[in-house]
Amino acid sequence: MAERALSRRKSNSAANYMDYSLLFIVIFLLGFGLIMVYSTSSYESNLQFDGDSAWYLRKQLWATIVGLAAMLVVANIPYHFWERFAVLGYIVSAVLIVLVIPFGRTSHGARRWIYIAGVSFQPAEAAKLCMILFLASMICRMGKKIRDRKGFYTVLAIPVPIALMLWKITNNMSSAIIVMGIAVLMLFVSCPDYKRFIFLALLTLAGAALIVFIIVKMAESGADELEFRGARILAWLDPEAFASGKGFQTLQGLYAIGSGGILGKGLGASKQKLGFIPEAQNDMIFSIICEELGLFGAIAVILMFIMLIWRFMIIANNAPDLFGALLVVGVLGHIAIQVILNIAVVTNTIPNTGISLPFISYGGTSVMFLLIEVGLVLSVARGIHLKDL
Amino acid sequence: MRGSDNIHKTYHRNKTVTVMFICVAAFMVLIGRLVYLMVFQSEYYIEKAKELHERERTIKAARGRIIDANGEILADNKTVCTISVIHNQIEDPETVIKVLSEELGLSEEYVRGRVEKYSSIEKIKSNVDKSVGDAIRSYELPGVKVDEDYKRYYPYDSLASKVLGFTGGDNQGIIGLEVIYDEYLQGEAGRILTVTDAKGVEVSEDGEERIEPISGRDLYISLDMNIQSYATQLAVQTMETKQAKSVSIIVMNPQNGELMAMVNVPEFDLNNPYTLPDEAEEAGLSQEKRQELLNAMWRNGCINDTYEPGSTFKTVTAAAALEEGVVTVDDTFSCPGYVMVGDRRIRCHKIAGHGAENFVQATMNSCNPVFVTVGLRLGVDSFYKYFQRFGLLDKTGIDLPGEAKTIMHQKENIGQVELATISFGQSFQITPIQLAVTVASLVNGGRRVTPHFGLRAVSADGTDIQSFTWQVEENIVSEETSATMRYMLEQVVENGGGKNAYIEGYRIGGKTATSQTLPRGSGKYIASFIGFSPADEPSVLAVCIITHPQGTYYGGQIAAPVVKQLFENILPYLEKMDYNNRSGSDGSGS
Repeated sequence: MAERALSRRKSNSAANYMDYSLLFIVIFLLGFGLIMVYSTSSYESNLQFDGDSAWYLRKQLWATIVGLAAMLVVANIPYHFWERFAVLGYIVSAVLIVLVIPFGRTSHGARRWIYIAGVSFQPAEAAKLCMILFLASMICRMGKKIRDRKGFYTVLAIPVPIALMLWKITNNMSSAIIVMGIAVLMLFVSCPDYKRFIFLALLTLAGAALIVFIIVKMAESGADELEFRGARILAWLDPEAFASGKGFQTLQGLYAIGSGGILGKGLGASKQKLGFIPEAQNDMIFSIICEELGLFGAIAVILMFIMLIWRFMIIANNAPDLFGALLVVGVLGHIAIQVILNIAVVTNTIPNTGISLPFISYGGTSVMFLLIEVGLVLSVARGIHLKDL
Repeated sequence: MRGSDNIHKTYHRNKTVTVMFICVAAFMVLIGRLVYLMVFQSEYYIEKAKELHERERTIKAARGRIIDANGEILADNKTVCTISVIHNQIEDPETVIKVLSEELGLSEEYVRGRVEKYSSIEKIKSNVDKSVGDAIRSYELPGVKVDEDYKRYYPYDSLASKVLGFTGGDNQGIIGLEVIYDEYLQGEAGRILTVTDAKGVEVSEDGEERIEPISGRDLYISLDMNIQSYATQLAVQTMETKQAKSVSIIVMNPQNGELMAMVNVPEFDLNNPYTLPDEAEEAGLSQEKRQELLNAMWRNGCINDTYEPGSTFKTVTAAAALEEGVVTVDDTFSCPGYVMVGDRRIRCHKIAGHGAENFVQATMNSCNPVFVTVGLRLGVDSFYKYFQRFGLLDKTGIDLPGEAKTIMHQKENIGQVELATISFGQSFQITPIQLAVTVASLVNGGRRVTPHFGLRAVSADGTDIQSFTWQVEENIVSEETSATMRYMLEQVVENGGGKNAYIEGYRIGGKTATSQTLPRGSGKYIASFIGFSPADEPSVLAVCIITHPQGTYYGGQIAAPVVKQLFENILPYLEKMDYNNRSGSDGSGS
């Protein structure tokens, strides 16, 4: 109660901070995303919905408007309000994932959507937000205990059940990786230690290298079953050898990126979106950005994301307390991991896994939850007293 | 209320900055990857993507025409249509199948198979008459493409069939001049590139990229349609009256090697080159057997087949002996009707013998013992040297495919008996064109010419003329020897064995030959005659070879008259041509 009074006094002095730079970057990305969603989807949409070339655009636009409204609401609620829902959120996200089993809708060979009363919803997106909230609250509660081994591994263990459920129930390994990644980043920031993280990073790299090595060796010796399981890895190493199977999407994406050249073919002039890259408006949208806008366009988009992350960092470092800072770090981690993994997948830098490009890829749930997260960050930013800067 | 643990410490801030820099580092790696893909690999992917997006249809280039010495077109093109279907654009498959099978006379299953096949474009039939193509076009069926292209057409059907040759479905020469001059005649096919989406549907706003075809060059040849047709008539006539297997006639300008005619009857129809003469018997033939018969039908006997030249080859023996100085025209010989070589007795064709005769008379009589004697005087080394110098061991280099090589003993295997038989043209084989060229070079002053048809290749718009040059080997015999040869061979026609080729008012030289084909004793002969005119400065040389005539088989009696008839008609014609040329260059005539 004392804090609320304090907060009111601050707002009365009219020195509360609103991060317009962040707001502008987000709105720019959203606008750019809508243009690219239209560009990538209009041809297929026209064929699919009988002359309606804006079907995907309209759906995305509605999701964006709803998301922006949600963002403004969240931005105007002091972020500590949400702390009390941390445990509930964790439980709800687990339940929502389980609900995929009875209410799930299969699409693209995976059950990832809950479909209730005409609204489809992806529990993975909610799970990421809930995980950020829960971990921020949890770490604050733990205090200094996080520094010892037990605390460290407790925090590391918290996202594991959710990640496993996402992976096994919704067959969504990329969301599982993101949830784990968010947790590791938040732990990294809240823990003064470096050694353990370097060790963890090296361990992960070594594990990944070992898996790739084993798969390649097994494929060479002709183990059929493993070749099937490891096809994704093999297709990553040589997409042209798997051109009609696992390597198809990757290869088509590379054609798009490579044929864009330095200046691109011009907005709307992509050829690969004409059905060569299936559903180009989803995960592969960055390849069409490369094809149409070239290397310059691609680097401009990456620079926008770097600026976004930079704003998050500024806000996190000026947050009034650790809880606020951790919320922002969580959002930063979520968006950064997703952007990096998406571009890495599209450019075939890492094996293919379905990850959308935040704010730009088509997907209602994703954009709404991202905007709610941005709302949270803005709310944290509002807590910054200008005199502190 | 949240306790001291909810305090934002400096290390938190440092770590947040670290996270930020890790992210920036990751982005830099990705930008590096993008630069690699979009700058250094760009060309590769642009090419790959183009292949993926563009559907290509080729436009046949018009093949160059073949034009004779008088400007007559011997090989031309006519417009035909290619009918194809584009699976994704077909709206009413049943109508398409019905119309195409009816108009093209194809079975419904066949058309159905093509129409229902999932491919970007499927060819139904090519070489369709333009009228049928226009009829199909008038139905305006979506998904049915009618593309016009060209088909080779030979206005004179079988005329010079084995010389001209014909082309295959891909505008490529199969035999004859069409093969040798393919690179000039073919031109460059054009392309229509259409951008399509993944389902093969054309993306209209990108339009078509059209690369125009480049027409092939017209080939101008030395063959004279008039001489060729007259020679063909004579050959057909001779083949029928003599019941011969085949008759070949070569007419050549001995001064430069330009071929005016090359006849090999039976000829075949160039517009239906895959139709055998006895179609009725063809029914039960295997594919291989059929191909064998086709190859035999297409065979150009003048260059693809070798034979024992017989007495016409005495010209070579005589020229070599004169050049080497082992004989003079005044040397006298005595022919008892045979000559002994080692323990072998070689008979003269006149069993009683020719008695005393000089070398000119021996040539007129075609006396075997004299030529054996002369050949033995030459010896193996000299004879072989002249074989080489006259070019008999090499191919003539004629601009037709598949020229056969001379079949000759190895030098080390030539003994006295072999030398003796070679002297009168037996025990080895050459092609008729080889004989023609060799004799031409012996009587033209010793210049070994390259026999040829091709004169020049002219681009379709007539602006770019590419003339061919042909190798000439000088001084294979001296001018003196050549003059002696001309004199002796004129004597052969005026007073000797070739008198059946004599035409009053013209000076003609020549030599007859009658050779028995292998195996000996089969009673099968080849009768031949080689003649040239005018005898003092030959401008035309003709060879007539009659294979397996029935009845009289002597070259002097059946081949010489053919050349006589030929010369009777073409010598005035050639003179008139010259006269025209002269008056043309002089301006006004008379």
